[in-house]
Amino acid sequence: MLRRFNLDRPTIARKYHIPEEPFNPYFRMDYHGYPYDEATGLDEETMKANLADLSASLEEQPRPIHKATLFAYVLDHTRIDVNAHDYFVGIYAWGRLISPHTCMKWFKERKDAHPEAMAVMAAYGGAAAGSGGLDFDHTVPDWTSLIELGFSGVLERARASYEAHLAAGTLTPQKEAFWRGIEIEYSAILRLIDRLYRYALTKTFDKAPKIAECLHQLRSGAPRNTYEVMQLIYLYFMLSESVEHYQVRSLGYGLDDTLYPFYARDLANGTYTREEIGELLAYFLFQWQAIGNYWGQPLYLGGMHADGSTRVTELSHLILDIYDQLGIYNPKIQIKVNGSTPGDFVRRALDMIRRGKNSIVFCNDDTIIRAMMSRGATYEEAADAVISGCFEYKKRAGGIDLSGASVNAVKPVALVLDNGFDRVTGRQLGPRTGEPGDFPDFAAFYRAYLRQTEHIWTTVLDALDALEADNAGINPALMFSATLPCCVESLTDALESGTENDTGVQISGIGTGVDALMAVYELVYEKKLATLAELRDAVAANWEGHARLRAASLRCRHKYGNGDPMADHYAAAILRFTCDLLAGRRNSHGGRYIMELHAARSFINHGKKTQASPDGRRTGEEISKNASPTMGADRCGITALINSATTLDTALANNGFCLDAMLLPSAVAGEEGLEIFYALLNTYLAKGGASIQFNICDADTLRDAQADPQKYPNLQIRVCGWNVLWNNMAKVEQDAYILRAENIQ
Amino acid sequence: MTAEIFAVKRFAVHDGDGIRTTVFFKGCPLRCVWCHNPEGLAPGPQLAFYAEKCTNCGLCAEVCPRGAHRIIDGQHRFERSLCTACGACADLCPARVLTLYGETVTVDSLLPRLLEDRAYYEKSGGGVTLSGGECLCQADFCAELLARLHQHGIHTAVDTCGAVPRAALEKVIPFTDLFLYDLKAHTESVHQRCTGRPNGLILDNLRWLDEVGAVTEVRIPFVPGFNTDEVPALAALLAELRHLRRVHILPYHNFAGAKYAALDYPNTMPATLPERAELDRAISILRAAGLRAD
Repeated sequence: MLRRFNLDRPTIARKYHIPEEPFNPYFRMDYHGYPYDEATGLDEETMKANLADLSASLEEQPRPIHKATLFAYVLDHTRIDVNAHDYFVGIYAWGRLISPHTCMKWFKERKDAHPEAMAVMAAYGGAAAGSGGLDFDHTVPDWTSLIELGFSGVLERARASYEAHLAAGTLTPQKEAFWRGIEIEYSAILRLIDRLYRYALTKTFDKAPKIAECLHQLRSGAPRNTYEVMQLIYLYFMLSESVEHYQVRSLGYGLDDTLYPFYARDLANGTYTREEIGELLAYFLFQWQAIGNYWGQPLYLGGMHADGSTRVTELSHLILDIYDQLGIYNPKIQIKVNGSTPGDFVRRALDMIRRGKNSIVFCNDDTIIRAMMSRGATYEEAADAVISGCFEYKKRAGGIDLSGASVNAVKPVALVLDNGFDRVTGRQLGPRTGEPGDFPDFAAFYRAYLRQTEHIWTTVLDALDALEADNAGINPALMFSATLPCCVESLTDALESGTENDTGVQISGIGTGVDALMAVYELVYEKKLATLAELRDAVAANWEGHARLRAASLRCRHKYGNGDPMADHYAAAILRFTCDLLAGRRNSHGGRYIMELHAARSFINHGKKTQASPDGRRTGEEISKNASPTMGADRCGITALINSATTLDTALANNGFCLDAMLLPSAVAGEEGLEIFYALLNTYLAKGGASIQFNICDADTLRDAQADPQKYPNLQIRVCGWNVLWNNMAKVEQDAYILRAENIQ
Repeated sequence: MTAEIFAVKRFAVHDGDGIRTTVFFKGCPLRCVWCHNPEGLAPGPQLAFYAEKCTNCGLCAEVCPRGAHRIIDGQHRFERSLCTACGACADLCPARVLTLYGETVTVDSLLPRLLEDRAYYEKSGGGVTLSGGECLCQADFCAELLARLHQHGIHTAVDTCGAVPRAALEKVIPFTDLFLYDLKAHTESVHQRCTGRPNGLILDNLRWLDEVGAVTEVRIPFVPGFNTDEVPALAALLAELRHLRRVHILPYHNFAGAKYAALDYPNTMPATLPERAELDRAISILRAAGLRAD
């Protein structure tokens, strides 16, 4: 299998950037791969200059039209590729060329208009108390509309709505501008597909007729077979991410479930064989490995219907099989699991993970349903929920989820110790909750912790409210909104009319925050090894000269992640306390604030700027990530770790919760090991866990890999919601994983 | 009633079926040259000092009530004869190079720790295993603990070397679902050389367990230069048992070497590790005798 693909793989690997040249995955769109035919479009410098001129001429236009016109210009003038080594087309101008003239500029104007809010963000961000800002990036289009209607049908549906509003006299200038924007963008998409089609006709290689036929269909109608659906998904992804400036955070509503009806029909009517579809899947999946963005492109598999039956089909198996054969870690795969998920499917995924192909996370349908219903979803909507991004949940065709703020659970401990004063930025950041001598018992300290926590949250969210108002004006979501029936009907941008425009907010470092609180409890109030003032001074000195106190702190009994009831219940309480702060609070575009216990990179970024903490952590060291303990603090094994994490009400984190687990290869080796692994996962799910991801490694291997990187070019570590090659990690990060691996031995 | 243990290992997946919690008891009648749990040999608590990773921070010297730890010329010196294994240093050692092996427990204090992972036992068909050292050196305690575990519906396993009085086995047998029985050699002189003790009692106990219907899994440490030639004779012996459900060949490894130095024991561990082919040969001998072996 994959004989043809393997011949073509080296070319696709060079499609987006040249693998041998320096590459920063954070700026993936700044690169280009192999050159495209110059006759097909403008060079990038000319295009940039022309866009600047064009944008200047559009200043008086409503923003949707302004943006759409620039979007159309890029599509009409980009160089294109139809390649003998690929079934998926090439679009050269993928560097968000219009954004400097649209969202980046309009975003800056918004920031300039809210100096107070920006000052708050700068102060709290500088102190790593809470980082927040405007984000307009997390979308999952309504794949049902796109696939049933095609690009042309989506345009015609919007046109019908426009004509209905016109006839009914309900057309406002805003609605008209919105419609015009959609018309301009979708017409440009159809012209681009037409251009690609005509270009394909000029090619004589063996793939060309099939590519041309596919494009011929997509320029005027809905996809008819598996390949055409994949080409549509790919085109939507590329244009939305790279031109429209909206991330596409899932490929289909479950790639397996989305493709399955076409797959079944293709097999039945002889359009494709299973092997041919497997090969096409390889070309499709590999695009994202070649793109190489650092957080990984998500797609999910599995899940359940509202009646509880599984969505896993033989295509789900085929997708995993191809992914396994490709040996890639991008896209990353989420598997929605529940009681009806076939055991052989889950075991197949577990087997891949234990073989090091661990760019896979399991997400518990039961928890997702509880979480989504707490957000107002119906049962059916909750059962259908989409995994969007790393671990986030979404209603289908709901709206745009913003990623708003991340608040550090460790910082309030420091603020209590210093009476609300922040030593990092040298300013009074929180309320004056008292001098160390003012806390006669731990209860008083804990109350002050909650006060500081509340203050950070309300301050950061107040600032965020101001910044998020009128988001639609900053980055009209035309391509996206046109896929959503609710937006098309009302002719308004998804950010104004989506049924679910929530703002995701994160607690970062909950594990370390709890450990710090517990250290105060144990060192000051229980064992009385130091006064609170002495502990404050030790922390302020970054533990210099306080080795004994630090040792006692590192050895405290109550640390999150060990099944210690006290530490675990404080973690649960902090989550609930924070969720209560958010409950009922609306963001500035009608949505809710929804909680995430996954941390992206804030465990590093917040850690860097956070002073030493009473748990023994030194200044600048990372804080705990996701719902996981401080790195190396969990010393009682995986079962204790899971017991700790599931003490938290995982569905309170109603936009995602993830636990990071590490296991020894020997624990999951052989047939019996696979059953152990399966039972372990099922216990986590039965205990109400949400998402879980695994690293299977031992300390010796990691130490060897650190000493001799050349021996381990493919060793991957699951880091946050994505995988990183071991050799691309900083030594300090590698050390943290080695420490954790030592603890499980 | 109390017992002396040295570890409670959760997510133990090599000590019987499924996901288990294993309790390691202190004290062992045998002295196997390859022992990988030397911290389980002595019945009382012991301090281990992993000198190699010591940062010489001196905190142990500050807290030791007996002056057993001293820093001399920047180097940590540990005088074992002064140590009472109180554990004060181990509680504080930041690098965790001081470890106290020994904890006095009651059934009531231990039981909740063993029930914490009940959900995992249920999903995986696992349970609790008593091991060591030799757990049946503290048979009364084991019997009470096992009975209490049975009251909670927990599957129980006892990992024994068999070198214990028959009475010890009789005490635990009503509450033990599975015996993990460690056999080292069939030939008495070989056994004596490997473990310092003869094996008559061990073999008798194994036969007796089988006669009374106890389900067993036999585990044979496979140590080149010591007992690898014993497999055919052991296979013949085991083939006669009616309630033996499985035989495991445990490839010898020398991971435990550091523990010997940490406990000031002479390191008796053999140098040679088994080859895969030898192991496969041993397994095939067992299989040829009609045994389920791996």
